[in-house]
Amino acid sequence: MARHRLLIVLWLCSDALLFIVSFILAYFVRVGWIFSTNFPFAAFLAVVIGTTPLWLLILMFQRTFRLTDTQADTKHFLSLLWSNIVGVALFALAYFFVYDLFFSRLLLVEAFLFSTVILWFWHMFFTALARRSLWRDPPAFPTLIIGATREAAKLIETLQRKKNPLRPVAILDGRGTTLKALHGVPIIGKLDKLEETLDRHHISHLIQCSDIEQSLNLLSVCRNRSLTYLLLPSVLGIVERDEQVESLENVAVMVVRPQGLPT
Amino acid sequence: MQTFILAGGFATRLWPLTEKRAKPLLPLAGRPIVEHLITALPTEFPVTISTNAAFAQGFQSWIAQLQRPVSLVVEESKSDRQKTGALGALAEWITKEQITEDILLLTGDNYLGFSMKDFLSAYRTGIPLLAAHDLKNLSKASLFGTVITDPADAALVKGFEEKPINPQTTLVSTGCSVIPKETIPVLLQFAASHPDNIGGIFEEFLRKGIPVRCFTFTEPWLDIGSFDSYLAAHRLLVGEKTLVADGSHVIDSVCQGSVAIGKGSRIEKSEISDCIIFDDCEITDCNLSDCVIDNHCRLTGVDLTGKMLREGTVLRLT
Repeated sequence: MARHRLLIVLWLCSDALLFIVSFILAYFVRVGWIFSTNFPFAAFLAVVIGTTPLWLLILMFQRTFRLTDTQADTKHFLSLLWSNIVGVALFALAYFFVYDLFFSRLLLVEAFLFSTVILWFWHMFFTALARRSLWRDPPAFPTLIIGATREAAKLIETLQRKKNPLRPVAILDGRGTTLKALHGVPIIGKLDKLEETLDRHHISHLIQCSDIEQSLNLLSVCRNRSLTYLLLPSVLGIVERDEQVESLENVAVMVVRPQGLPT
Repeated sequence: MQTFILAGGFATRLWPLTEKRAKPLLPLAGRPIVEHLITALPTEFPVTISTNAAFAQGFQSWIAQLQRPVSLVVEESKSDRQKTGALGALAEWITKEQITEDILLLTGDNYLGFSMKDFLSAYRTGIPLLAAHDLKNLSKASLFGTVITDPADAALVKGFEEKPINPQTTLVSTGCSVIPKETIPVLLQFAASHPDNIGGIFEEFLRKGIPVRCFTFTEPWLDIGSFDSYLAAHRLLVGEKTLVADGSHVIDSVCQGSVAIGKGSRIEKSEISDCIIFDDCEITDCNLSDCVIDNHCRLTGVDLTGKMLREGTVLRLT
């Protein structure tokens, strides 16, 4: 199994386990370090285990399990917070439906707090480990950069600093820059070296940072070879980082709303 | 007289059209650019084409179906960085083949509108000759290498200037010249230290006191080096016509301006203006303007303007 797929499976399994552990912890904190006869542990555990796949699905729908994303940001924390609220609610609902009685409401609060804290730290720790694993030679996602521009240099520096799984291994520049490398990543030549570079470096991702006139052709190469194509907004002239990808009647559109404009 | 055609460039500005073929083999009005040059040459002139290893196979296939014999010299380079240079390739060929005749030197990506017979008539034995195009516009001339002629004798070259800011003349040098056999030793000596400076050889002749003559022409001349110049050459040669090659079909479509469609292509319910469509393409319900579409492209329901599409591109609006 490819390295990244194995890591995703590990991540899903460990998350499921930690979600269950959080609830078990909440149970014992609430009822004491015993198996209560009023509140049977086995029944409690069965419902937690039953709820876990649904909770994982919620996380998946929120695109949490992406190894290229950083977990240490507000967006991911809020996403986890929301998923855990829904997870706890699902548990409460399921327990009520199955056993027709309720139990300590504080347990729900504690289960929510434990799962959020434990999983938040685990996500950060796991992705840090996963990134190291995916970054090391040979890289899991060798990435080709198109364009030796200022934005490309900034992107390469960020990807390297954060050990993002998309590891830049080569640069092609349509304008024929005289530079030899950007942050240690070699500039191989112009676009006529594309096929050769894709083969030699086993490229999995292509990030276009320049040469807008060649977008169609770069996309064509990516489609033919099943590569993932990414485009920096700066290629379209959007350099202020105020763009968003939204949906307009189910058509994906890139939106830039200068400050003060209505949505 | 021997003819030597330079076709060793990698033409990166015309990527992706030149991804798998040399620029001189790009179709222009139904046949490769270089074929326009060759058909204009006297049939008794032996022709040699110099190319690089990356494009050798393409030339071999094309030569196989030509009506006249053409030799191929292959430079063992597969990228721009490995190139030995045009003058170096010429010198190598002269040495290897022990050439002792005058040489008609042509650049494979040039379209020359003048009569080759007139040009060769202007040649005086032992005096290098180059073709200079009169752009009749000083600002345009500043984008090229200019040829300064003697005020007393307009056919005699006095000097050269490379892309001058304030050009003294509207004459620009083109990719067509004659190297007399008497000057070959000078060429070989110069090529040893300047293998990539093909234009510099004429300056070297002047430095050595060898007179250089100039054939001035006003007929069309196109140096096909970019997308725009390729389309300009296409418009010039095709005119307001639609050229449809054998086995191609244009159905319920409107073609405007200069349109050339290669073999085995099918255009249906589309509007095409000023486009070059290569072989085996399928274009349905599209609006294409100023585009060059390489072989085996499949386009459905798209509007494109000013695009070069690489071979095998599939675009389907869903």
